[in-house]
Amino acid sequence: MNEAEVAIKIDQVGMVYHDREKEVTALTGVSLNIEKGEFISLLGPSGCGKTTLLRIVADLIKPTSGRVLIDGETTEKARKQKKYGMVFQSPVLYEWRTVQKNVELPLELMKLHKDERMARADKMLELVGLSDFAQHYPQQLSGGMQQRVGIARALALRPEILLMDEPFSALDEFTREKLNEDLLYIWQRTNKTVLFVTHNIAESVFLSDRVCVLSPHPGRLSAVVDIDLPRPRTREMRDSPEFTALVAKVRGSFEGV
Amino acid sequence: MKTLKKLRSSDKLVTLVWVVGLIIIWELCAFQVEAVKRTPENVLPHIWQIIVSIFNTKPISSGRTAVQIVLTSAGSTLLRAGYGFLIGMAVGFALALFMKLSGLIEKIVFPYLMLIQMIPILGMAPIVLAITHDIGTSRVVIAAILTFYPVSTNTLAGFKAVEKEKLDLMYLCAASKTQVYIKTLIPSAIPYFFTGLKISAPMAITASILVDTLQGDGGLGCMLSQSLKHAMSIYVFWQIVFLSAIVGVLSTWLMGVIEKRISPQKRFRKQEEV
Repeated sequence: MNEAEVAIKIDQVGMVYHDREKEVTALTGVSLNIEKGEFISLLGPSGCGKTTLLRIVADLIKPTSGRVLIDGETTEKARKQKKYGMVFQSPVLYEWRTVQKNVELPLELMKLHKDERMARADKMLELVGLSDFAQHYPQQLSGGMQQRVGIARALALRPEILLMDEPFSALDEFTREKLNEDLLYIWQRTNKTVLFVTHNIAESVFLSDRVCVLSPHPGRLSAVVDIDLPRPRTREMRDSPEFTALVAKVRGSFEGV
Repeated sequence: MKTLKKLRSSDKLVTLVWVVGLIIIWELCAFQVEAVKRTPENVLPHIWQIIVSIFNTKPISSGRTAVQIVLTSAGSTLLRAGYGFLIGMAVGFALALFMKLSGLIEKIVFPYLMLIQMIPILGMAPIVLAITHDIGTSRVVIAAILTFYPVSTNTLAGFKAVEKEKLDLMYLCAASKTQVYIKTLIPSAIPYFFTGLKISAPMAITASILVDTLQGDGGLGCMLSQSLKHAMSIYVFWQIVFLSAIVGVLSTWLMGVIEKRISPQKRFRKQEEV
């Protein structure tokens, strides 16, 4: 791989927690290079350290060994340059703000001019299909719509990297599949590098260029599966033999679960 | 929409049942008292007797009727309770903010807060009066002391209850500390702040009345104790009881109204999944 194309370089990352006298190894020796514009899933069961890895990449926690480089720089620098957009498991919306104002929040923090903020928020809401709900309050929206607002907010800063921490895991299967398709549409329009944490095998196969399988005790990268399904991906592909074969391949690559 | 309307009307129904139930119980007791006591109005008069006493035009003390006495003394007591409440609110909020800003301040200040809260007002009021030498100032101070504790502890709880992810989001956006407070922490704590205000609003009023009883210088509490000592009609006492109960309920209700005005999320009920 050409070094210049690497967006995220994860280099021998390890994470050890001290729980009273016990040492808990959450992650050990994870190395991975992620290209610009790639869609990568971190897949694994609970306790495999996938969220820990995401939080290390996001500069929310520091690894106890190894390092993560974003465009060759530290994660702290990347964060201060507003290179991250993050979508959480729960929508994490501000109840006292309208949908529009929620999307504008990161832009307010950047002290952008009001007109610019509104223009960008409008664009993002259009992208996620919520233009008609701009003046609603979060609690007036369904769970799926709330999560769309979360995505619009994450994209408002025009980040290079979109970090998603099991964003659709609280949604029902129908809404989840719809949002999977919408997320791919958004990704193709915006060209972000996406790091997507999930414990749903089908979801990871449907979305990703590569699925990184993490195994627990201790958390480690046990396999990387290339997903060579053509793009754009359609709903029908979910029922194709190729898709089923890839799901089986990913499932087969787990160790010690 | 229909179910929503139903819910609201059932709220009103509950209130109605409550008020009617209270009146019935009161009256049942009043009839019982009437049957066994020689001066039942000293123990529990009928509600209509109290209402009649409000419209009684016969002057009872220095040319004023009972209701005139009650209302003029209510003015001075409630006004001071109001000042004390506002001061307590400001101090309580500021203290919560300082405690949030510094864990050290929290550790130092919090035990004192508990301590102040544990001293009964009956013990604290004479001390405050001895220091200030002024019944008016004492009312304000005592009302403020009683207000700031619930406001402070609730607001601090609000700061601590902020969703962790909201702070993560602030961090990822490289927000400054001031921005974190203004955009996330303070707005999140507002509902808790109002919970504190709802608790302390009637307390400030009760405290102010209690302070009045210390000195014969007007005010609801002073009239209340004179009435109890039969220096004037006992109905002054009952009118004051009713007035302070109503004002207490109204003060809590008012806090709810103000909260709804300033926080839009309170105006919308949660919707069903679409």
